[in-house]
Amino acid sequence: MDLSAMLEKLVNMEGGAIGWGLYYLGKLLGAGIAMGLGAIGPGVGQGFVGSHAMDSIARQPEMTGTITSRMLLAMAFAESTGLYSLVIALTMIFVLP
Amino acid sequence: MSFLTKEENLKKILKITFIIYAALGLINALFFFNLELDGVGERWIVEFGNGGFLGSINPMTLIMSFAIIAIVLLFAKGVKFERIPGRKQSLVEMLFEYFWEIVEDTVPVKKYRKITFVISMSLFIYITLSNILGGIPGVDVIPLKDGLSVSLFTNPWYSPTSDLNVNLTYAILVLILSHALAINHKGIGGWLKSFIQPVPFLLPLNIISEIAKPISHSLRLFGNIMGGGILVLIISYMLKYFVIPVFLWGFFGWFVGFIQAFVFALLTIAYIGSVLE
Repeated sequence: MDLSAMLEKLVNMEGGAIGWGLYYLGKLLGAGIAMGLGAIGPGVGQGFVGSHAMDSIARQPEMTGTITSRMLLAMAFAESTGLYSLVIALTMIFVLP
Repeated sequence: MSFLTKEENLKKILKITFIIYAALGLINALFFFNLELDGVGERWIVEFGNGGFLGSINPMTLIMSFAIIAIVLLFAKGVKFERIPGRKQSLVEMLFEYFWEIVEDTVPVKKYRKITFVISMSLFIYITLSNILGGIPGVDVIPLKDGLSVSLFTNPWYSPTSDLNVNLTYAILVLILSHALAINHKGIGGWLKSFIQPVPFLLPLNIISEIAKPISHSLRLFGNIMGGGILVLIISYMLKYFVIPVFLWGFFGWFVGFIQAFVFALLTIAYIGSVLE
């Protein structure tokens, strides 16, 4: 069965309280879980990148400029998996029928 | 004759701008605040003909793209290349030299270095400008249920890179260009052979990794710009557009925007270089 057809059938049943309740429960809970679990990995990854960059700055203070720019670049890469979950969460909230 | 140096002048201008902005924001928050948080993440779409995928356009994306291209062309016309470099010329030369060094390190074939440089550089300039426009207050158009709502100087400019169509177009362009260069360099036989490179067993994995390139390439930029925009919109709504949005625009528009544009250009160079090996 189609998703929107299923939703219409649920909403038309008994005044629609159960249908709308289930709809918002699934939508918001799904978006929250997707964003919350998806933020764990990038957080850990960015922490590793930052800690190692600090280590190397402490060892070679004259390389600070280069290391900082590379660190930002690596952090932007580590961020991308979190952004996919952000996109999925936004899709769930704004694009679902 | 002015007695102030340029830096002091700039500081004074910044202070005055900030005070004016704070006063206007206070007036806005106290007297004129009846904005509804409606249409978050919506796009103004005009449909014509049958509608659907081919029959609809996104007017704000088109207008802002043309505006950005016009800005770049005007800037390029204003740069005069002389033996003793002026301020604009040394800025342009520094940027180009930095990218040219990266291209020389990454692309192994000498013949294709110039085209890689041109593509990555123009993508970088365009994406940087459009991301930075997302950090400056200006005109934004949001569709509501009954017509459009045009917000003047409460939200930042609409930035074309917060539309997935733009990013996906550039990512697919880079994919097609890199494979065209690979076919040109190795011939069709060599290009097909590169898909079964270590062992023939790995053919599906190679194809999937090629398809995943434009998806991750475009969604990275889109997620950063769009997610930052929605976050700023919601937080500034909660604070009734008082002073805080300036810092959020500065972070999400200028800082994140510049880094993501750099990452996009760097990945362009890396993808073209990796296919040519």
